[in-house]
Amino acid sequence: MSSSVILVTGGTGLVGSAIRHIIETEPAGSRFGKKPGEKWVFVSSGEGDLRDPEQTRKLFEKYKPTHVIHLAALVGGLFKNMKYKLTFLRDNILINDNVLHTSHTTGVKKVISCLSTCVFPDKVTYPLDETKIHLGLPHESNFGYAHAKRMVDVQNHAYKDQFGDNFTSAIPTNVFGPHDNFDLEGSHVIPGLIHKCYLAKKNGTPFVVMGTGKPLRQFIYSYDLAKLFIWQLREYDDVEPVILSVGEDEEVSIKQVADAIVKAMDFQGEYTFDTTKADGQFRKPASNKNLLSLMGGYEFAPFDKALDETVKWFLANYDNARTGLNGRPTGH
Amino acid sequence: MSVILVTGGTGLVGKALQHILAIEPEGSRFGKKAGEHWVFVSSKDADLRDSAQTMALFEKHKPTHVIHLAAIVGGVYINMKRNLTFLRDNILINDNILHTSHVLGVKKVISCLSTCVFPDKVTYPLDETKIHLGPPHPSNFGYSHAKRMVDVQNRAYKEQFGCNFTSAIPTSIFGPHDNFELESAHVIPALIHKCFLAQRMCAGHSKLPISSSWPYHIENGTSFVVGGTGKPLRQFIYSHDLAKLFIWQLREYDSVEPVILSVGEEEEVSIETLTDAIVRAMDFKGEYVFDTSQAEGQFRKPASNKKLISLIGNFEFTPFQKALDETVQWFLANHARARTDKRAEV
Repeated sequence: MSSSVILVTGGTGLVGSAIRHIIETEPAGSRFGKKPGEKWVFVSSGEGDLRDPEQTRKLFEKYKPTHVIHLAALVGGLFKNMKYKLTFLRDNILINDNVLHTSHTTGVKKVISCLSTCVFPDKVTYPLDETKIHLGLPHESNFGYAHAKRMVDVQNHAYKDQFGDNFTSAIPTNVFGPHDNFDLEGSHVIPGLIHKCYLAKKNGTPFVVMGTGKPLRQFIYSYDLAKLFIWQLREYDDVEPVILSVGEDEEVSIKQVADAIVKAMDFQGEYTFDTTKADGQFRKPASNKNLLSLMGGYEFAPFDKALDETVKWFLANYDNARTGLNGRPTGH
Repeated sequence: MSVILVTGGTGLVGKALQHILAIEPEGSRFGKKAGEHWVFVSSKDADLRDSAQTMALFEKHKPTHVIHLAAIVGGVYINMKRNLTFLRDNILINDNILHTSHVLGVKKVISCLSTCVFPDKVTYPLDETKIHLGPPHPSNFGYSHAKRMVDVQNRAYKEQFGCNFTSAIPTSIFGPHDNFELESAHVIPALIHKCFLAQRMCAGHSKLPISSSWPYHIENGTSFVVGGTGKPLRQFIYSHDLAKLFIWQLREYDSVEPVILSVGEEEEVSIETLTDAIVRAMDFKGEYVFDTSQAEGQFRKPASNKKLISLIGNFEFTPFQKALDETVQWFLANHARARTDKRAEV
């Protein structure tokens, strides 16, 4: 039997940790479990700075991957993105070029890179689908990151056109789960609210949610996303990106999210919405029709259950989590 | 004292800049100013795809300003074959120039985009607001994305560091020192070269070239064949005029927003008008025919120069026939050493 080495960059992050969890817990040989002959390698920035071509080359030489799931990126919240547009643009372009070009020159059989629904055009008709990525400029606030990510799709097509390389990409919607970044300054909405509620409970202060709670979002549990990445690695060989998301009918409101967190934490204190604060877009739904038609159906973990597991993980791992309060790097 | 580094300094536009600076009166609007030191470099001086070579070049000349014209360019066929090379190499060149300029505190950089990087599906005329409104034409998507990225980089450098980086968007350029190699040349140099060969054949100087890629007809002594119907319209800018506009942009324009550098929409000429002008310029006595079986590209892709004209005030473009005459005269005097042979494969 042939053996394969699957290198996962960003291997210790939110999604990388989830893929590792799935590979280690699903039955070997099952659809999402480890297959015989597969060696999985999870690397982080500690092993090599992917902005540097030489360090990237050394990393590839060490592990000799046959496949790459490329999750590593410079990511950040709204304010960091706005302040460091060039850094988010250039560093991500460097990382992506080093990974793709090294994969090309060393004959890696397949690379799956990561885009994001946040890189779609600002002015666009909903729901988002895979054909709309380049139809206009992204939102100003993260345009450095967005342009760098969109470029990955361009690069994939160019490598395929000129060299026949099997490079493709995945477009997750909002991801949440254990091992997330819970630092209040840069976190996304679910980990941010979990951490806030925790502090409110601990300090006996009110749990205040910014905005009206009305906006709707699609959230995908990192463990489900991990399975979808494994599916894409094994069963999808097109250059075109695939949106990896729950269905549009699975949208939840921010209030539903906050309610579920309050319940999971058993928070008894004062819980309010500060309606003077901005809400962000009301909805930005993405279609997962393409994914479901290719996979033949998929059962996502129920939202409340996934959120509950995430909260329980946070409570059990608070001291080691990326909270910005204990010296653990938050990736920024 | 300023040092203005021109990358791609020996190409079509680079040579035009050299020419204008040499002939315009010193101190005039487009002439050399006191305290200016102009440096024209080519790929022989440094491979700009390499960051160390780029840094060494900048360290040698210590530019205060950069006009960045260097790029990997080519006609439609080579673009289609090498989309990754055109994408990656141009991104490397542009990143090295912009980043080195930033790190060394260059006061201003003007880079070059092109009207060919605009969206394939777009409303005409093109203007500066439409660059990113949709995907470029698939045939040169590698080159197009690399060039569009320059505009993104300029804005990012400005927002994060306050760098004064901007860009120019020329339309179709022609003039002396162009690439006249038949398979890769743009339309004006290609037709000049074809007419020249037909002229030599009529005069009995050359044998008929036997090549399946050259649709020469022997009947009726017609050896000058123009691909297409002759009807499509194009805006052409003379390289000497473009050079003046670059000098204007260097001295008088400090916005991050790109500027289209072009003649007005009303100056569009048809390929037939162009061919007649070439025939006149070369005093070609033979006949020419249109081969309507050949592809001819889009009917029109007009670009608006309203923004340029509103900023520059009065600017007199060289009349088209005069510019063509000068280009033809240059070619006739220099064809032995002009770029007429196939270059090394990209």
